[in-house]
Amino acid sequence: MSKKEKLLIIGGSAGGPSAAARAKRVNPDLEVTMFEQGRFISYGS
Amino acid sequence: MKTEHRVTKIDPKGKRIEVVNLANSQTQWFSYDQLIIATGARSRRLNLPGSNAKNIFTLKDLQDGLRIKNYIDEKRPGQVAVLGGGFIGLEMCEAFRLRNMEAFLFCRRDLPAGNLEKEISEKILKELQENGVHFLTYQEPAAFRLNSNGEVTSLETNQTQFPADMVLMAVGVIPNVEIANEAGAELGKTGAIRTDAAQRTNLTDIYTAGDCCEVFNLVSQDWVYTPLGDIANKQGRVAGENAAGGKATFSGVVGSAAFKVFELEVAFTGLGMQMARQYGFDVDSQVIEAESKVGYMPGSKRILIKLIFDRQSGRLLGAQMAGKEGVARRINALAVALHQKMTIDEIARLDFAYAPPFSSPMDPILIAAEQATKKIQK
Repeated sequence: MSKKEKLLIIGGSAGGPSAAARAKRVNPDLEVTMFEQGRFISYGS
Repeated sequence: MKTEHRVTKIDPKGKRIEVVNLANSQTQWFSYDQLIIATGARSRRLNLPGSNAKNIFTLKDLQDGLRIKNYIDEKRPGQVAVLGGGFIGLEMCEAFRLRNMEAFLFCRRDLPAGNLEKEISEKILKELQENGVHFLTYQEPAAFRLNSNGEVTSLETNQTQFPADMVLMAVGVIPNVEIANEAGAELGKTGAIRTDAAQRTNLTDIYTAGDCCEVFNLVSQDWVYTPLGDIANKQGRVAGENAAGGKATFSGVVGSAAFKVFELEVAFTGLGMQMARQYGFDVDSQVIEAESKVGYMPGSKRILIKLIFDRQSGRLLGAQMAGKEGVARRINALAVALHQKMTIDEIARLDFAYAPPFSSPMDPILIAAEQATKKIQK
């Protein structure tokens, strides 16, 4: 079994979560990790 | 999903990023196959004496909003100084008035929303004044006076000294490009991260989306910096799809936005006159006022429309509107016209839906375009 491809996303407001959702939809096997420096995500979209 | 984790470094050669867990200050490296930089923007702060006072706020995200709300709930400030006449400053004047505070808007120029056309800014000024906002013109903030608790008690400008119980700095945003730039990501002339229609950066397997990067303007055919949440979402989708192996593209924006100040709706799309001239167009404009619905219908309101166009080709370049009803949705028709590079003549003959509760037989847009056709060189 091959190792899962890793997608990292820096930022969790508007662009980051949209990218994460889309990437998972296109390739459900992708391992997606999103980093956000604040306490909340999706706060400014 | 890792919140309260700050990414401090990107190593594009090793394909890994350095992350600090803010809860325990521990640093860890994470490796990637693909990376998306969506670091957003931060509020610009004026660097003045006293500007680190605890009752000087900026507003960018939910945490900022909560900080402001908690401060008002706790300290009951009576008088707030708002610095900057842009969208955030204007929307917050309304919010402060709703909390029964005296709001003083300090503006560097003579009108609010200085990026918009004068006719629109004048409507905004009238709306502010009718709702008890004090508007101060040609103000350059110089310093803040603090009390022994480290709180602002007054604001000094080039013109006056002014008592204030709290201050909101709403003087724009700066793209968060530092870690990307240190890793070798190219920036555009706007200072934001350079990208392309696939949302790639110049670095292998690194994409970007949102307020940290540029976006292509389809009217000016130029890469610009337009930090807005709807654009960030669209760019994010494209970056996500491509990072997952897809082939999506984002062709660009025409520059549409809307906001509300008290009862006034303001919306715009495309270029303003000054910008259009800078891009070399032979610019002319048409301003009209018309009713948002048939005059006898309850709730009908005056709408001001300004169309900006090239008088040689007749092509629409931009549109701005202000009024108390039927503005924000109406602008979208003209955004489509900009996407399609339509001429004033074509717009004047569009078949819009009509019934008395929604429009007049000649929609305000059609009236404006019809008037404008007379100025186009035949």
